[in-house]
Amino acid sequence: MRFRFLMSEALRSVRASFSTTIAATMTVLIGMFLVGLLIAFGTFARSWSNQTKGTLLDNVYFCTDVSCPGRGAATAKEINAVRIKLESNPLVKKNGVTFVSKEEALKRMRKRAPELVRNITSNPLPASEEVTPAKGEYVDEIDRSLHPLPAGVEKTTYGKKTASRILRIARVIETIFLIAIIVLLTASTLLIANTIRLSIFARRREIEVMKLVGASNWFVRGPFMVEGLICGLLGSIAAVILLLLGKEIALPSVLGHIDAGSGVSAIPFALNAMILLGIGLVLGAAGSGLTMRRFLRI
Amino acid sequence: MQETELQTPRTALADRPARSDVASPAAMIVFESVTKVYEPDVTALANVSFVIDKGEFVFVVGPSGSGKSTVVRLLLKELEPTEGRIIVGGRDLGRLKRSKVPLLRRNLGCVFQDFKLLPNRTAAENVGYALRVQGESRPSVRRKVPEVLSLVGLAQKMNSYPHELSGGEQQRVSIARAFVNHPPLLVCDEPTGNLDPDTSVGIMQLLYRINRSGTTVLMVTHDREMVDKMRKRVIALEEGSLVRDERRGGYANE
Repeated sequence: MRFRFLMSEALRSVRASFSTTIAATMTVLIGMFLVGLLIAFGTFARSWSNQTKGTLLDNVYFCTDVSCPGRGAATAKEINAVRIKLESNPLVKKNGVTFVSKEEALKRMRKRAPELVRNITSNPLPASEEVTPAKGEYVDEIDRSLHPLPAGVEKTTYGKKTASRILRIARVIETIFLIAIIVLLTASTLLIANTIRLSIFARRREIEVMKLVGASNWFVRGPFMVEGLICGLLGSIAAVILLLLGKEIALPSVLGHIDAGSGVSAIPFALNAMILLGIGLVLGAAGSGLTMRRFLRI
Repeated sequence: MQETELQTPRTALADRPARSDVASPAAMIVFESVTKVYEPDVTALANVSFVIDKGEFVFVVGPSGSGKSTVVRLLLKELEPTEGRIIVGGRDLGRLKRSKVPLLRRNLGCVFQDFKLLPNRTAAENVGYALRVQGESRPSVRRKVPEVLSLVGLAQKMNSYPHELSGGEQQRVSIARAFVNHPPLLVCDEPTGNLDPDTSVGIMQLLYRINRSGTTVLMVTHDREMVDKMRKRVIALEEGSLVRDERRGGYANE
């Protein structure tokens, strides 16, 4: 089938059923606007929860003369053995084991609580390893792998309560995002398919006539699919424009109150826009192509 | 008109040879013990057999519900027979793949009681559509459409939409559309059913002319007067059974 013919047939039917074209376009617009909004907020929330999970650490404190009376401070050999054990653990992030020496620990403490360490003469703080898990969820398991404690280790801590709260919230956010995107995609697919079905139903006699004069299925379907493509394209472009307006105008006034920290961001707007355009096009074309099947059995 | 071209069926119809015992080369349509049952238990056709040769003009008559329209829908492969075999232009419809149905329909002009024109296309566009579906080029469409529209006497109304035309004119457009491919077979389902007697005569004359050019015409009708006047072959159906097949018959049994 010639391209020119395909386009002229599609434009003809857009003109002929202008109101249904508008209806289908509006449906795509609403659906894609909501999906776009959800993608933006969803990826933002996910990024936040990942960022927060990334702050979860397992601290492994080594013995000092004071903390382990009787056996004395950990030797370099013991410290090395613990390090090798941690680094060979697949749950630990690559290069995620950082050694904090006694001096480093004191320096940090000076920064955090200067009054507390102002008058001390010797350094009571232990050396430690800071272990970053590959995933926040692994922190508990990593900690358990260090029990019973290896030689030279006094104790381990990973903020059990905080960790489990962070993980729980992150899981809730991820689940909500997943459910919402499934529900919304299903809803907008059904909505769009239904609108297209109505417009095709209104023209089923026309389709019947086309088939009776010897048009092949693709000959009838082609222009309808191009029409769906046009609706999908227009609708998702409009949705992208609305989202852009929202991002530029509405978001800055709200964003002032949200302090999520650096490194937390939604996916780039351009990518979001591409996703919406893609979904819009596929929904439009596939929607009309599939809905037609029923009417083509003549 | 193109006597020679119409005598031989187009290649698309003839590419699958039928069994020789039923399809003599002269046969255009063969119904071989065709039975059609609409689920659950309405028998539209019961064991109907007939052969229509190339170039014939045949009326299929009978009261409403006698199965006339079923014959047309079977010929178009809109329906499948429950039993029996149908051969059109040497091609066994039962063995025709669904994807080949458009090819069948392009070689078989069809005229309906309700015209079945595309409402938002002009007369010329309606006729052109039948050419476009088989991938004919624009110049060739532009050449053939006025030709066939003037043949049916509508040269002046090429750019009118169906709703601007009278019933008779709409039927002429639909005949033009059916005939524009010069199909070897024209099937008409009560083409004069919605028209007044005078207009009907004009339509019949047109169909007669088309038949004279070599096209086989099968016409389903209950226009008694017309059938009696024409004295052509009559196949009569009653409650799904073939009750009469006369060479030069009238509408009713004499």
